[in-house]
Amino acid sequence: MRKTMLVVEDESLIAMDLELLLERHGWRVLGPAATVDDALRLLDDELPAVALLDITLKDGTVTLVAEALRARNVPFMLASAYSRPELVGGEVLAGAPNVGKPTEERRLFAVLEQLVSRR
Amino acid sequence: MNLENLYRLVRNGHVHAQGIVDTVPDPLLVLDQNLYVESASRAFCETFKVARDETIGRHLYELGNGQWDIPELRRLLEEVIPKSTAIVEYEVEHDFPSIGRRTMLLTARRLFHPDNIARTLLLSIVDATERRKRDAEKDLLLGELRHRIKNLLAMVLAMARQTSAKDRSGEEYRDAFLNRFNALARAHDLAFSEGNEVGLHELVERTLEPYAVNPTTVVVEPGPAVAFASGQILSLSLILHELATNALKHGALSAPKGQVRVRWDVQEAIDRRLRLAWQERGGPLVEPPASPGFGTRLIEFTAARDLGGRAELNYAPAGLEVQIVAPLGPVS
Repeated sequence: MRKTMLVVEDESLIAMDLELLLERHGWRVLGPAATVDDALRLLDDELPAVALLDITLKDGTVTLVAEALRARNVPFMLASAYSRPELVGGEVLAGAPNVGKPTEERRLFAVLEQLVSRR
Repeated sequence: MNLENLYRLVRNGHVHAQGIVDTVPDPLLVLDQNLYVESASRAFCETFKVARDETIGRHLYELGNGQWDIPELRRLLEEVIPKSTAIVEYEVEHDFPSIGRRTMLLTARRLFHPDNIARTLLLSIVDATERRKRDAEKDLLLGELRHRIKNLLAMVLAMARQTSAKDRSGEEYRDAFLNRFNALARAHDLAFSEGNEVGLHELVERTLEPYAVNPTTVVVEPGPAVAFASGQILSLSLILHELATNALKHGALSAPKGQVRVRWDVQEAIDRRLRLAWQERGGPLVEPPASPGFGTRLIEFTAARDLGGRAELNYAPAGLEVQIVAPLGPVS
């Protein structure tokens, strides 16, 4: 079975790019969710193996999603332009790996590998 | 020199000194060594709403019902100043009864009189509350700008990565990418234009302008005025661009007599919704693509996510017909 990743990103072009990129590497994408509400609704239906989060969304910061993932023991990484995401999205983001934005393909998959193999 | 003359001279000297003190634009106090006010600048009196004659000759801590009896200031004047000649822009936050909570920058300098042992202290108090607020706002704005730039770069990266290179020469790939890049720049201009809001009519006209090689190539039949948020302007502009570039490659705009018509209306039912129709005529016979490319995906994806609606692509043999339906906010 293919592994599933939740992608949360509100900029459509970037979300599509991430989705296509992940699919090309054999992942199944849950989402991409554009809002906190969307992401939480998706999580109610299905638990992904891992998640990739943008921090500022249309309806607020991704904090609630990160907390929901933490509570369900799903590892997540960030794709953010902020150098210190926890200052924007709260303590729950501290220590989460950040693949940056713009997101380099190599870095994305290197971090993803680490995150998944750590389990 | 008699007493009368001396008095006049001293008085003149004082008037002169007061004149100098008044030219300083910042609130300034001249204190004697025991912290009694010898002189106060006009700016001091105006800023802290005190009369000069209530101020001169009083002890600093007694001024304005003791509003300057601030622990931090006391420490500065009684412990720091005696050991150093100057203190520059020491920040103190304090609640002033007359003017509320303020951030003050204190600069103090000791003056030594050459002919006696008297010491004078110059204390300037600059109200930096507004400046601090402006600085904070500027930092916030700069932060947002930096964030937006990175987002824009990420969008460019997405376009570069997703523009197909398969079965294309380097030049063809470059042209296809630059085509999208230019559309993004144009859409960004529309979405974040200075001043006046961009309406749907202007959005359609300006996005399709590069494709309107003659008056009959692209015909826009404007419907009611519709305004969008900047993010939606960007998305709609990109959608129209993808349709146009597709028409140029495979559709009506690839034929000399081909034509694209764009029109829209607004349905005023329970919820207001926009229906925008894109219709191609006079091009080659249309066949649905074997698999949707990035352009088609982008159209459907952004119509659903950014406009909260949908895009329906109908590959009719006579020409592609697209309908974009998007809910609009309630009538304002």
